[in-house]
Amino acid sequence: MASSKCTSLSGALSRQLLDSVDSVLFDCDGVIWRGDQTIPGAPEVINSLKKNGKRVFFVTNNSTKTRQMYADKLGKLGFNATADEVFGTAYCSAMYLKNVCKLDGKVYLIGSNAMKQELEEVGIQPVGVGPDPISGVQIDWANVPLDKEVQAVLVGFDEHFSYMKLNRALQYLCNPDCQFVGTNTDTRLPLEGGKAVPGTGCLLKAVETAAQRQAQVVGKPSSFMFECVASQFDLDPQKCLMVGDRLDTDIMLGSNCGMKTLLTLTGVSTVAEAEANQKSECPHRQRMVPDFYVDSIADILPALQA
Amino acid sequence: MAGAVGGGRGCVTLRGAQIRDLLDSKHNVLFDCDGVIWNGEAAVTGAPEVVSLLKQRGKRVFFVTNNCTRPRENYVQKFSRLGFTDVAEEEIFSSAYCSAAYLRDVARLQGKVFVIGCSGVMKELQDAGVPVLEEDEAADREPGISIYNYPLDPDVKAVLVGYDENFTFMKLAKASCYLMNSECLFLATDPDPWHPLRGGRITPGSGSLTAALETASSRKATVIGKPSRFMFECIASQFDLDPDRSLMVGDRLETDILFGSNCGLSTVLTLTGVSTLEEAHRYRDSEEPGQKDCVPDYVVESVADFLEALEE
Repeated sequence: MASSKCTSLSGALSRQLLDSVDSVLFDCDGVIWRGDQTIPGAPEVINSLKKNGKRVFFVTNNSTKTRQMYADKLGKLGFNATADEVFGTAYCSAMYLKNVCKLDGKVYLIGSNAMKQELEEVGIQPVGVGPDPISGVQIDWANVPLDKEVQAVLVGFDEHFSYMKLNRALQYLCNPDCQFVGTNTDTRLPLEGGKAVPGTGCLLKAVETAAQRQAQVVGKPSSFMFECVASQFDLDPQKCLMVGDRLDTDIMLGSNCGMKTLLTLTGVSTVAEAEANQKSECPHRQRMVPDFYVDSIADILPALQA
Repeated sequence: MAGAVGGGRGCVTLRGAQIRDLLDSKHNVLFDCDGVIWNGEAAVTGAPEVVSLLKQRGKRVFFVTNNCTRPRENYVQKFSRLGFTDVAEEEIFSSAYCSAAYLRDVARLQGKVFVIGCSGVMKELQDAGVPVLEEDEAADREPGISIYNYPLDPDVKAVLVGYDENFTFMKLAKASCYLMNSECLFLATDPDPWHPLRGGRITPGSGSLTAALETASSRKATVIGKPSRFMFECIASQFDLDPDRSLMVGDRLETDILFGSNCGLSTVLTLTGVSTLEEAHRYRDSEEPGQKDCVPDYVVESVADFLEALEE
């Protein structure tokens, strides 16, 4: 393939690129949908890829849905997809705790019911999900009863995040043998309109600061997300295309794992940012330069339907 | 003298005559509270006497604490309860009091402040006459209101974050929304990631909540508390302090000692609180720039060590 980078993906190049890969991994928010609205043409792209014999996977840092919930959303929006093709951080964190941390106990969970379900599916019992209001005085909080079977703290998106939850996580993490895992570091939840909803990254930062410890992060750009897919489906990264809208997560993941990368401009990052990274001398920034870019993934449809 | 260059300087253990000489050269003594003059509800043995004797010897004594959970009038009561006689409200500088002073006198805030903070912070703001956006938790429970959809008050011109046991996702969301306006001020009471409690336990501090909000807003807060200089400037504006004649006594290297360095004060680390002698030595022996500022000039086991010098 071309060794030049950050090239606009024209029709002829599209065909060449697609022929060189057997699997395509898509980020979701800002790539195939925005909130509950599909990016026009996205379902046709995914469905055509499959008709063309390509395998398709969905790789998202969003921890609020189980694989099945994603499959349901994909189905409703016209995508031909199954739960086992979806890799969200709720599922991947559970896999990480089980297979990498080799967790043999419970986990104190700051996160959603979806995360709770995925953990239970792999035989890990979570504690702490749901609202957790404060009561008592300071010394009570330092002395909250701790479940002796908890061997890890997992932090994901949690709209019930509170001082009490932060406190409990801190008490568990005072034990250096207690593992510390986070789903992702995204600072914002991607949403339509002007409101900014703080992302998991904010909650994780609060816990890391209080505990003065760094979490092991499962989500993009950590290569664990790719390893999760690759190990189940026997993927060759050189025959994989990573399609995303964020240079610091999607494209970085692609670079780190040796995949080809395609930036779509329907989300967060811009071509200007990609070009600035390309011009920089910094090796870290060089990993955030896509091989190709398109205005929208719908742009590859003609090549698929030819 | 504080701030001298050279590797391996500092951490001089003080005894007897040396303490007397040091105190003779200083007119003002600034004490941190937690871990220095008290631990929880117990005074450090000898601390009340030290404070009394310093005042009798004509020294001015100030208390500089990052702890924003009480208003100053509560601190006065605590001092009294723990056996410190004659500590006046004017001598107490907490990060809550100084944050309110900053908003009123430095920022000269025209508008309201959205506060993530405890009752201690609220009281100081009220006492300083700084308008606070009242938290309306009932309104947050109205149908249709959620973390994705909530009203904003156009009069909010500043966000202040401090220790808040009632911290919620909703407060984080609202604060980060206000901070999207670059003209909205962003203040934090103090940077402490955790606070020590009795028996070696700890609880999350203002710093952890500030970190969440900095991440959400992609902005850095202006931090009022130690090691920032502002608390010293607050005292100096009211009491005309000469840094060369002032001594900072603290237990936390990254806040108290760094604060002393930043303000040009001589510094004493006491070992009755958070930091250890080993940690002080690590900073002293470090090659990294900036670490030397966390090295205390002097070290004592406890402020009670001053008694020997003062009782002569």
